[in-house]
Amino acid sequence: MQHILRLFILLVGLFAGAGSYAADAAPKLTTPDDLGPQIEQPIEFPHFRHAGDAKDGGMQINCMYCHTYARRSMVAGIPPVQKCIGCHQSIESVRDKPRIQKLFEYWDAKKPIPWKKVHDLPDFVRFNHERHIQRFYFQQDRPYQEVCGYCHGNVKAMTVAQRQKPLTMGWCASCHQKDHPVSANSTETGHGPNDCFTCHK
Amino acid sequence: MTENDFNRRDFLKVLGWGGTAVALSGCGNTSIEDGKETVTSYVTLPSYVIPSISNYFNSTCAQCEAGCNIMGRVREGRVLKAEGNPNSPINRGRMCGLGLSGVQAHYNPDRVRQPLLKGEAITWDKALGVIADKLNGVKGAEVAFLTGNMSGHVQALLGNYMDELGSKNHFSYEAISPAVLRAANKKAYGVSMPRYRIDKARVVVSFGADFLGAWVSPVHFSQQYAQFRKGSRPEGRGVLVQIEPKMTLTGANADRWIGVRPGSEGVLALGIINALGKAGLAIPADVAAASKAYTPERVSGETDVTVEQIEKLAALLKERTPSLVLTGSAAEGYAHGSQNAAAIALLNRVLGNIGKTVEASASVPFPQIAPTVGNRASLVSLNDGLAAGKYKVVFSYGVNPVFSAPAALKFKDNYAKADFKVAFAQYLDETAQAADLVLPLESAMEDWATVVPEYMAAPEGAGSAGYAQMSFRQPLMDKLYPDTRGIGDILLALLKQRKADKYKEFDDFYAYLRSAVLKNKVALGGKATDDDDVFWDETLSKGFVPMKGIAGAVSAKASASDLRLPSATADQEYPLRLIPAVSASMRDGRNANEPWLQESPDPLTTIVWDSWVEINPKTAAKLGIVEGDIVEVTSRSGTIRTQAYLFPGIHPDAVSVPVGYGHEAMGRYAKGVGANVFAMLDAVFDKETGELALNETGVKISKTGQRVVIVKEEGPVGGSQAGKKKIAVQVAADKVDLSKEV
Amino acid sequence: MSVSNLLENWSKFRHTHPVDDKGHPDWEAYPSDIKWAMSIDLDACTGCNACSVACYAENNLPVVGKEKYSHGQAMHWMRIERYWDESAGVGEFDADKGARFLPMMCQQCEAAPCETVCPVGATNHTEDGLNSQIYNRCIGSRYCSANCPYKVRYFNWYNYPEQEKVWPEPLNQQLNPDLTVRTKGVMEKCTFCKQRTYTARNNAKTEGRPVQDSDVQTACQEACPVGAITFGNLFNPESQVAKQWKSQQVELTKEVQDKDEKEGNRLRGYRILEELRPYPSVMYLERVRESAV
Repeated sequence: MQHILRLFILLVGLFAGAGSYAADAAPKLTTPDDLGPQIEQPIEFPHFRHAGDAKDGGMQINCMYCHTYARRSMVAGIPPVQKCIGCHQSIESVRDKPRIQKLFEYWDAKKPIPWKKVHDLPDFVRFNHERHIQRFYFQQDRPYQEVCGYCHGNVKAMTVAQRQKPLTMGWCASCHQKDHPVSANSTETGHGPNDCFTCHK
Repeated sequence: MTENDFNRRDFLKVLGWGGTAVALSGCGNTSIEDGKETVTSYVTLPSYVIPSISNYFNSTCAQCEAGCNIMGRVREGRVLKAEGNPNSPINRGRMCGLGLSGVQAHYNPDRVRQPLLKGEAITWDKALGVIADKLNGVKGAEVAFLTGNMSGHVQALLGNYMDELGSKNHFSYEAISPAVLRAANKKAYGVSMPRYRIDKARVVVSFGADFLGAWVSPVHFSQQYAQFRKGSRPEGRGVLVQIEPKMTLTGANADRWIGVRPGSEGVLALGIINALGKAGLAIPADVAAASKAYTPERVSGETDVTVEQIEKLAALLKERTPSLVLTGSAAEGYAHGSQNAAAIALLNRVLGNIGKTVEASASVPFPQIAPTVGNRASLVSLNDGLAAGKYKVVFSYGVNPVFSAPAALKFKDNYAKADFKVAFAQYLDETAQAADLVLPLESAMEDWATVVPEYMAAPEGAGSAGYAQMSFRQPLMDKLYPDTRGIGDILLALLKQRKADKYKEFDDFYAYLRSAVLKNKVALGGKATDDDDVFWDETLSKGFVPMKGIAGAVSAKASASDLRLPSATADQEYPLRLIPAVSASMRDGRNANEPWLQESPDPLTTIVWDSWVEINPKTAAKLGIVEGDIVEVTSRSGTIRTQAYLFPGIHPDAVSVPVGYGHEAMGRYAKGVGANVFAMLDAVFDKETGELALNETGVKISKTGQRVVIVKEEGPVGGSQAGKKKIAVQVAADKVDLSKEV
Repeated sequence: MSVSNLLENWSKFRHTHPVDDKGHPDWEAYPSDIKWAMSIDLDACTGCNACSVACYAENNLPVVGKEKYSHGQAMHWMRIERYWDESAGVGEFDADKGARFLPMMCQQCEAAPCETVCPVGATNHTEDGLNSQIYNRCIGSRYCSANCPYKVRYFNWYNYPEQEKVWPEPLNQQLNPDLTVRTKGVMEKCTFCKQRTYTARNNAKTEGRPVQDSDVQTACQEACPVGAITFGNLFNPESQVAKQWKSQQVELTKEVQDKDEKEGNRLRGYRILEELRPYPSVMYLERVRESAV
């Protein structure tokens, strides 16, 4: 019980934090779209409900509340079922919805949910979430939806996430070659690494 | 861990990668393939686990008897690599190739996965039932239990089980055992395993102790050796002299390697003492009397070491103190092995090394977990009992005597005489194949155990004299095969068959171990007021606990008066002396099914994936043998066929074949690779300890007419730097000033 | 070498190879404050092979078996070479002073002979001074291997994971997910444990500080039972490797070292095949042998 309480407090904090970003109009995403296939997931997870704007009925939860590893690991990660349950066991209003029932079935059976990869890079590519989040979210202080959106597109409007960007090497390089401010208040700029070896493993 | 009320065992269960597909990189996915793979997904996850970042769990290496403390690198529920525990006084964060290959024992494709009764897969209930049946009505004296070195709580349980059976027949056997060393040390220094301080010595003279390769605790001694070689040390760079008929890895690193005539090591030791006396060193009267007859001229004739060499060595030893003299299997593997060792130990006494570079060690305060060390004599007595039909039920664990017993013992035939044979095994090796019931063991990365090393290394500093430690082995991942069990769990189940009440509070070996450790918190460095869970977690996270051990004392008490060193006799029929070589990676062959070890070249010959026989180029020239000739090596007890390799580091009267090869079973990487040298050893034993005299087999060599290209790392010119002199460069010690190097 | 100049100006890349027209590397233009380098003390090295096995464990190297080994197809990025003292002529060896061991792996040359001959730019220089090998750019011409004076490049003659089944289930679970398992037709070699240096740089960057010695060890260095291997950033004067290079008076940019040596104080540091001017990043320290015995 103790840690559920802690989660709850954290969640409230995040709502407050997210609120402050709502004032910034999200800037236009600058790269072209290249829609990936619609992927069937074990549970049709409504991103728009969790991450969407308040006006659209969303709860504006920070992406990194669930994809918590993004700021400290190569991978963003899928939350363990425990995390979903942490909130949902005290949200009675949706408890009877089929998706939530399915979630609890996994929890009761102590089975992990076999989520499919939506953004699946080739195995010879090293993409580091931490580096990008640290650079753009923490150092440059950009809104999280914009930062995650560079590569993942407008997930907050999706139900099951769908790939929106090409994720090809040329597409990566097109951004790496651009000059970006080093930090929020700096006029100094720098571009992404250009060594083949940095991304190819 | 404690934060989430989530203990490590649950963690392993839930985290186990059963329900999750972990993408193995590189095997296929070469383009953007949305929706094909599954994300690594968990039910619940402790906060310290972050996907893509490794966690390290401390454990203990099981690849040899040294018991190095390791850290398992664990990611996404899999153990990827073993690394050294930097806090360990044994290996200080370092590893050897053998230890690194432990993951290949764990992930080995040839592991036994189910209990097998005469080859048929059965359930554990049935297997344990069969054992209970077979033990029914059998007297304790008719049950024998054969193991390798054992220690810790598994040994305590085994002791309890033997007591319940009313049997005193626990045989502890090691195929390659320092048994003569233990006995000789006990006599010479008063302790069987003193602490050697290579790091403090200015000169080390080693009579065949391969301390950098396969002797006692090689990673620990390598640490000491690194200190020993540092010019910036107050004592300056140490000098290593290795005396042995066949060059070992340590010999290859010596400043001077002396290829002594096999068996004459004791004579040479007395010759050096004689020369030391002549050079003006005060020699105790009894030693002087014993060495009086060993004039350099006579010794030179018997050992093939020049007078000049003996005098140089004596001068060096006299000038640079403290020194350290070691004795290893090359000097001990004879019928007079104990006498050789005793003569060599006298050098330490004469040079005043005892107490300086031969220090007292400490033993653990709990005798029931102290190591039971194995030897060959133990196997011989089991073998005699089997031959006489004394044993009806025989258990074996951690040993493979059908493979490693010398041919002359006819162990396999005698083993078959027992009514019911149970082998606890990770592989279907030669012994498991000859057994009636095979019980599949968990790997050392899946089970729980405590380990007390025989060679008790100590950290630097005050209190090291009484230092003892117990190391923990804990699961590094969920087990790969549900039907394997840890030896502790099996023994507990067997004990419950006989005394259900006494052990009913323990669900499994983990519960037994935890309770036993927590009961002794104070002795294990905790306080009585420590919380049990916290103490347990902290203990596991450290990987080992120091204990206040029972300190021994070294003394120079050996007398020289009863030394008897025979002169070498020529054997007309089998003129060459066979030296079975124990290499760092293959050892006694129990790890032969780990492919990294097969592909890792022998350091000296650079040969891979096969046996060979090392022959001195002079001897080979006489016999008309060239490299790659397939030869027959024949002794009184057997013959093997293998490839000839001309090797400068061997005495012309000796040939050497590595042990550990030539498995007829075990698995795909071991089976049929090379020839088994154990199968041709004569049954000659050390007269004092009854230990098998490894080097007492005489052989002759004949060509078969076939020739192969030896598969090895070195090029066709066999280690020449001709034309490229600045590759591996060497400099004389007096040309450099090492004292200021960083 | 980078994606941009590869795509834009191939000939310029060739021209601005670290050895410029002046005949030595253009250090002024060195693009980074990191230069990975190593030193190996041959007097400590015992030739035990632990480094080589550690490399197999860390870098997903395939075990090729006896037959392929005999064809020279072993994939040991780190190998131990063993030499004897020669008494009279070639093939007559003297074992009195033991054997000489030499751990040999990619020397990460600053003017690497392999780089200039690659027809597709699959092997090139990184900003932190590594000689990179980009597997999925490699077409398997093997020119690089032919031009490597140290013979430390290893070619995948077979599809080891799938056709040769080098990692039969469950051995494949040991594979390190931080780097790929290479497939047939590509060249590979020691990377100075790129995955480890990458992680070290990443963590230091997140913490906003330069990389230190304590951040990274290569797998071979970590295992070495005698601590013969030192690895670190040569451009950081506080790093152990920089101190060693300095005290041995070995300079990265020189092809002939100009050492201040006195009688009885020879400096042990040297680089192998320095005279070919590849400017290798590995310094060896000569093996020492006592002459009093």
